Amino acid sequence: MPENLRTTAAWRIALWTTLAFSAGTFVAFSIVYLLMAQEIWARSDAWLTGEARVLAQVAKNTPQDNLYDKIVEEVAELAMHEVPDERSSGGERLNYVFFLRVNHSPTEDILFVGPSSKDAFWRAIQQAHFAEGSPKSIRVEGWQPAFRVVEQVQEGSPIYLGLSERGAQHVLHTLTNRFLLVWTGTVFLGFLISYLSTRRTLRRVERITETVARIGSEGLDERLPEPAGSDEISRLAKTFNHMLERIQASVKQLRSVTDGVAHDLKSPVTSIRGTLESALSAENGEHWRDSVAQAIEGLDRMSALLNTVLDVTEAKAGALPMERVPVDLSAVVTQLVHLYLPAMAEKQHEVKTDLESGVVVEADLGLMNRTLSNLLENELIHLPPGCTIDIRLRSHDGHAELVIGDNGPGFPPEIGSRVFERFVKGKHSPGNGLGLAFVDAVAQAHGGTVTISAGLREGATVTLSLPVAEITPARG
Amino acid sequence: MRLSASHSGTQDLSIESKLPMRLLLVEDDLSIQRFVERALVEAGFQVDASADAKSAEALAVEGIHDAFIIDLGLPDMDGLDLIARCRAHGSAAPVLILSARRSVDERVKGLEQGGDDYLTKPFALAELLARLRNLLRRSSTSQKEPLRLEVADLQVDLIAREAKRGDRILQLTPQEFSLLEYLCRNAGRVVTRTMILDHVWHMRFDPATNVVDVHIYRLRSKVDEDDRQPLIHTIRGVGYVLKHA
Repeated sequence: MPENLRTTAAWRIALWTTLAFSAGTFVAFSIVYLLMAQEIWARSDAWLTGEARVLAQVAKNTPQDNLYDKIVEEVAELAMHEVPDERSSGGERLNYVFFLRVNHSPTEDILFVGPSSKDAFWRAIQQAHFAEGSPKSIRVEGWQPAFRVVEQVQEGSPIYLGLSERGAQHVLHTLTNRFLLVWTGTVFLGFLISYLSTRRTLRRVERITETVARIGSEGLDERLPEPAGSDEISRLAKTFNHMLERIQASVKQLRSVTDGVAHDLKSPVTSIRGTLESALSAENGEHWRDSVAQAIEGLDRMSALLNTVLDVTEAKAGALPMERVPVDLSAVVTQLVHLYLPAMAEKQHEVKTDLESGVVVEADLGLMNRTLSNLLENELIHLPPGCTIDIRLRSHDGHAELVIGDNGPGFPPEIGSRVFERFVKGKHSPGNGLGLAFVDAVAQAHGGTVTISAGLREGATVTLSLPVAEITPARG
Repeated sequence: MRLSASHSGTQDLSIESKLPMRLLLVEDDLSIQRFVERALVEAGFQVDASADAKSAEALAVEGIHDAFIIDLGLPDMDGLDLIARCRAHGSAAPVLILSARRSVDERVKGLEQGGDDYLTKPFALAELLARLRNLLRRSSTSQKEPLRLEVADLQVDLIAREAKRGDRILQLTPQEFSLLEYLCRNAGRVVTRTMILDHVWHMRFDPATNVVDVHIYRLRSKVDEDDRQPLIHTIRGVGYVLKHA
């Protein structure tokens, strides 16, 4: 757990999610609130107009006798009791209703049924302008909040029915309060859940970080635990493991290269040093000459090794400078075979060739010469005397295929498919283990492949396949 | 070392001027500079050596050198820039570039096509001398191509592509003839296996096997058959030389 909470990604993610969540819910509540308020007002207005119409009807139908006022008052009282008698938790009455009827004939007479004296209400009504049948909010002195009042005129005598807005406001207030309570709780809970789940997820990332840090400092053998499933973090872990696999492979290869270089350079250095040292203590001039010549030969082998190592490394890195021109592979192979024939004959090898003519590839001529000579040198170096070497060149399916096979002992089983790696060679191989690595790298640089297989009659077969050139050279 | 064998070669080149050719050697590694200078002096050249580009440029502007030998990795300037500056000063002397880098970059290739040459380290002194002579021969007024070469009682007819040792006609394959021709053209000078591969088979690589030697043995068995006077000699650690012992 990092010391400062606020710098963690979990904190930030939770914070932002919560912010977005609370803003969203707030907007949603506001919409609900508006709709509800609208509905409440519409309901109270509907009640007011309906009730006022009933009262007007009653006033109209009641005979205008002494009991008239009594009856109307009675009906008004009844109507008022239809309003649900909502009370707040404190027992305060919420739904104040008043009824006021102005009777112009025979005398100015006001019938009032309401919570207090009629004067304040009458004054407020006189100041307001009503459209008949549509409710209107008016302020009544001494009353908070306003009253919703509807006017219904009946035979010149207006009837006013008013309902305090307190009830509706109370409902909305309660709604708002409860929402705020629930909203705060939800937001807090949401933040907590979001923070904890994000932290849990990021803990896995943290574990990957820790493991990778450990791998960086200790060794490449460790691997990240790969959780089941395939979510992003599992994929991250898998990708890391793949990367580690590759890094380990290249480090291993690099190590084998450095080991190889060290080994292959140390022995000639030792022998050259020894040779020169013995020359120093010798008296004989002929011995000196011999030693110096031997030393030069050793140095030449060393410099050849260095060159090859550099070439292979460059080729593997795709950094070999190449000048690709149409190369008549048939001619190049023929020339090389002629170059190597005497040396092969010296070792009593029988060389059989079957070369298709006019096979043209687009390649760097120098690299081709060195690659092919590498393959032929391999035969010279590795075969015991008296073998048969089969060299075939064919072009088919857009590829030039050079097959060099022999009936020698074949590739040592212990190197298996690793023949193309640098410094991989058989235990008793006199070579440096770079030849085929170079051939492979050059083949790949030319968009081709090189493969090995055991020949039909044991032996070894190397097949070099290169894409043939699309254009034919001006001269063969 | 039998480098003294190459004296005769330099004398050929100096026939016209009667003066020793003068070379400018620019190499910052003093151990290399020292042995190259000694080899060049032994081969009959007059050598000015310099370890940095600045002093080399000062020498080059004098315009007294027949060829430059320039190392690419100089402490104060890239060797190629030095060559460009020498050219800008109007010097037309051919350049032999020494490079520690195995792969030769495009700019060097460009120079090579322009008539200059390059050699990668490590190199055999024999090859350095051979390439230098080549450069000097190319830059001097073109000598007449000889029609026949003669060394002792060996005669090589370049037109008929026929070789004779005394009265005996040598039965040579075309490859063997080319090899003999190359040895004869360089009679008295040591040639390395790499040089032979380069000039006879036009391939530039260092063979790891005795592939070139076998050709030489075969040629020798024909040329020096009854070894009254062997002409083809092995210089251990270096290469071969064709000469009248």
